[in-house]
Amino acid sequence: MAGMSPSERRLQKELMSLVKEPPPGVTVHADLVEKNLLQWIINMEGASGTLYEGESFQLQFKFSNKYPFDSPEVTFVGSNIPVHPHVYSNGHICLSILTDDWSPALSVQAVCLSIVSMLSSCKEKKRPPDNAFYVKTCSKNPKKTKWWYHDDSV
Amino acid sequence: MGDEVETDTAAEGVNQINQDELILQQQRQIEREISETTALVGDLEPISSLNSEYASDNVYLEKIKDLASKYKHVRRTRPDGNCFFRAFTYANLERLLDNQDDFTSFYKLVENSKNSLVELGFPQFTVEDFYDTFIEVLQRVGEIKNVNEAKKELHRLFNEQGYSDYMVVYLRLLTSGQLQKDQEFYSCFIEGDRTVADFCHQEVEPMYKESDHIHIMAASAAMNTGVRVVYMDRGNSKANTEHDLPEGTTPSVHLLYRPGHYDILYL
Repeated sequence: MAGMSPSERRLQKELMSLVKEPPPGVTVHADLVEKNLLQWIINMEGASGTLYEGESFQLQFKFSNKYPFDSPEVTFVGSNIPVHPHVYSNGHICLSILTDDWSPALSVQAVCLSIVSMLSSCKEKKRPPDNAFYVKTCSKNPKKTKWWYHDDSV
Repeated sequence: MGDEVETDTAAEGVNQINQDELILQQQRQIEREISETTALVGDLEPISSLNSEYASDNVYLEKIKDLASKYKHVRRTRPDGNCFFRAFTYANLERLLDNQDDFTSFYKLVENSKNSLVELGFPQFTVEDFYDTFIEVLQRVGEIKNVNEAKKELHRLFNEQGYSDYMVVYLRLLTSGQLQKDQEFYSCFIEGDRTVADFCHQEVEPMYKESDHIHIMAASAAMNTGVRVVYMDRGNSKANTEHDLPEGTTPSVHLLYRPGHYDILYL
């Protein structure tokens, strides 16, 4: 792995581990990622026995060269954005580990597991109450929103 | 959920949202200024160098006198929220270089720490990343025979962001591990209804989160190293307040605390 920056080296390791031992319902487009290590597309299946059973979603991860000290920018993309109280219709996700509570000990895999669990614990499919307003006014980059985290129960 | 906007008109609301970007931009700017003016770990300076920060502030000037009666030097660290972890690790490794036996037993303690973290549920994959760098630094400074040269190398590595931040993360993980291992004890120090694990995920493991008494207790226990923290603030007494952690131990590392920041002290 000579000639790679520390963040690329780390991402390369994470990619190999995710290809080898993906969490249930999660697959990474390894061919795409190998072309550009700083932008990943990950497929996520709704877990069985949950409101999202049978649906599939796409997550986009963007990394800066300060990863893993900077958190990745993670959004849902594609034609099916899950209807969930913490997911805006533009794909932005309100999840504290993606900004304030990010730690370098977390990983792509840990983020995927958190999102799977966030979806799985949902009891009613609905958009966040401020969806229309947020989507109209927010920055393209969800990390530029100062999120207010509350209501961990959903 | 996104910003709670409590305004009546959409126009005001739009302003509010745009301010997010402005606030974050300003934060970046401040961070840049800090990092351009302060080294991650600075050079040794006489205690009197602190005077210039408090030109006409008699409360502080008195306390600097008190400090100078006990300590010879201070070494500043960058105020980026990681200062306790960086200062403590640096000061500890620096004093270990003076004593081969202590260095060897510390090396063993670190070697054993990776598995305890994995047993506590930390992901092996990311822990290894930080552990490997920590060990690499120990090896690189440990193999230099001349103590002064070894200290120079330590100083060089701690001012390379790549190494320095990895060292900080590993001590953050060790501190978190210590808190969780001994959670019955530490839970008394956590306010509100957060669990020890929640506290660790929110206040210990993320970079740039500042350290409190509880972080220091756990970090000194994890490193098996006593630390004396000298508190210097605007309080009325002429002397500074000292705290030894864990209580009753002889401190091997001395830190100066001024509200919001830690630097290293030398006897």
